[in-house]
Amino acid sequence: MSLPLTVVGVSHETAPVEVREQLAYGPTEATEALVHLREREGVEEAILLSTCNRTEVYLYPSGDRNATELIGRLFAKRSTKIEGDLSGYLFEKGGETAVRHLFRVTAGLDAMVTGEAEIQGQVRDAYQLAAKLPVAPPLVGPVLGRLFETALSAGGRVRSQTSIGEGAASVASVAVELAGKIFGSLHGKRVLILGAGITGELIVEALSREGVQSVAVANRTYDRAVSLARKHHGQAVPFDRIADVLSTVDIVLSSTAAPHPVLTRAILRDSFVETRKHPLLIIDVAIPRDVDPSVGDEPEVFLYNVDDLRSIVEEHVHLRQDAVPEADRIIQSHSDEFSAWYASLEVVPVIQSMRASAEEQRRAELERLFGSLRGLSPEERARIEEFSRRLQNKLLHDPTTRLRKGMADGAGPELVDAVRFLYGIEAGGAIEADSAEDSSEDGDETADHQEKESER
Amino acid sequence: MIHLSAFVFYIGALVPWIYLLVRGPRGHSALIASGLTAVAVALHAMALLDFWLTYGELPLGGLGAALSSLSFVGGLALVAMLPLKEVARIALGLLPFVLLLQGSALILGIEPTPLDLDFQGAGFVLHVGLAFLGLQGLAIASAAGLLYLIQHHELKVKRLGRVFRFIPALATLERVGRIGLSVGFVALSLALVLGWAWTVQNRGSLEIDDPKVVWAVLSWVVFLGIFATRRSRGTNEYRSALAAVIGFGIVIGTYLALRITAGGTGLFL
Repeated sequence: MSLPLTVVGVSHETAPVEVREQLAYGPTEATEALVHLREREGVEEAILLSTCNRTEVYLYPSGDRNATELIGRLFAKRSTKIEGDLSGYLFEKGGETAVRHLFRVTAGLDAMVTGEAEIQGQVRDAYQLAAKLPVAPPLVGPVLGRLFETALSAGGRVRSQTSIGEGAASVASVAVELAGKIFGSLHGKRVLILGAGITGELIVEALSREGVQSVAVANRTYDRAVSLARKHHGQAVPFDRIADVLSTVDIVLSSTAAPHPVLTRAILRDSFVETRKHPLLIIDVAIPRDVDPSVGDEPEVFLYNVDDLRSIVEEHVHLRQDAVPEADRIIQSHSDEFSAWYASLEVVPVIQSMRASAEEQRRAELERLFGSLRGLSPEERARIEEFSRRLQNKLLHDPTTRLRKGMADGAGPELVDAVRFLYGIEAGGAIEADSAEDSSEDGDETADHQEKESER
Repeated sequence: MIHLSAFVFYIGALVPWIYLLVRGPRGHSALIASGLTAVAVALHAMALLDFWLTYGELPLGGLGAALSSLSFVGGLALVAMLPLKEVARIALGLLPFVLLLQGSALILGIEPTPLDLDFQGAGFVLHVGLAFLGLQGLAIASAAGLLYLIQHHELKVKRLGRVFRFIPALATLERVGRIGLSVGFVALSLALVLGWAWTVQNRGSLEIDDPKVVWAVLSWVVFLGIFATRRSRGTNEYRSALAAVIGFGIVIGTYLALRITAGGTGLFL
């Protein structure tokens, strides 16, 4: 049974940032887009996922229409500034390929930086936004609901059972990881920024997000220091007074354009060797280096330059890449599980019809029997009725179990057709998947229970 | 038999801790490690209770029994650390010490003391309990110190691998070490005062030639040495971690040396 699921969108692999930023949907815009899709004929279920690396729409069932055209028109409303044909940036995937795509995205395998953790939360948000949208019928039904739940479960398993998310994978996050492993919590820690480089700024922003509160800024141009200090709610320090501040800070970020080291071992020793009690992390991202390498020989000083940070990032990226085959295996198992569940959906109406037909015949036979045996007491009638129900459940239990298993194993529509032929069931009568499955499972449980009872 | 079961569970607990270190946090490995540690300590408590009920004396007199009790105090410290997430990883440093003590106790035999104990009752239990707590405080400080030195080394050589990620932050290790040392020092000081007060009152002397007393005083001096290092000027966190590891080594080394060369009454030393 092929899966009529389609995903259409743009990603960092198909579109440059100029296009992606045009197609980025905030919660309000995403809601409007989903309402628009709800109004489109033939769209039963839809979810829109928008992150900085991708914007994609999952549609079920995709039907006969051209999904790329439909989503292309939706995107075109937001991308008026894009020159040329938008369809050149779109990708489309269908069926099980679309399932695996979502699972890989959720697990962070399709991210710009493999193993990126944020995506899991973004997928959850997209799913919840569509699920909670007050439209009738709801945009998230049994299929996309199950698909996204399985994707989140697969993503969580990949993250917990492989090294896909281990180690920081950007210079700024390595700096944060280092600071965390030295100081534990970064709340209340003091940072001294030397110079005004972009990487240094990125790092201080990342540190601020982790709770660093106090920032001192020193720059050759004092006005620039004041401006930077204002930006980070810090304090400007004259460049020639660095030594005075060094003894009070925990982290030094250096990114000046000076042609020679601005921080030497002598300056450092003068500033704190007699009084300092705690470690000092120095991150030097300047080229040429701002900090004399011998500063790193001080026992409580941890000195990292830009090459150190880059090599750590590369090492972590390799570590994450090594985990991809294992992650793919986990994804494949979840994908197979989803496909088996979907395949079992077609069999649910057939099983229900089998049970309904058997129940009808049972009742008819009972009425005929009770009509010919008029002297039966109510207890005797109840026992006969109970016997007929047990017999019916016993006779149907094996065929229904094997039918479900056969569909899960990929036996396909031929099996369903054969059962329809054998039991004289007409095609059609599809019902809502969850309730159908629930009711049929209840039936199985009743049958199992009754079998056990009869064995006693 | 219950003592042996506790020992087996301690070994069982060490395996997932090492797995966590080598492979990183996978699945439920942290939960398994914590669970096995807790089960081992619970079994250990049952074993000591069984000893008490069977022989009518607390397992503090004979060498094997005393070592097992000392090991149990370490186990309790482990259990106290388990809910503290990152701090629980210090278990990897402390668990081998607990295992070593319990293993030694099993080899020596966990038997009641054949001697008549004249220093008994609540005072004896309090004295021994406080002394054990003092030693375990030092053991915790030493385990935290050892991990501090390893983490410090990883940071210095810029190797941000699994060991780096497994070991808690330097600041956390420093804090745990400080708490271990403070609690240990107070407990050992009280144990010494209690023991000496009884000795002076009942024997009329300090019995400073008793190897047990020599060792206890030396342990107390080691504590003082570590505190002195911590309070010294300059880079004190690294040096205090080093001092805790060396100090604990001295305490254990002295115990073994005294045990071999100048065995005392056969009680603890």
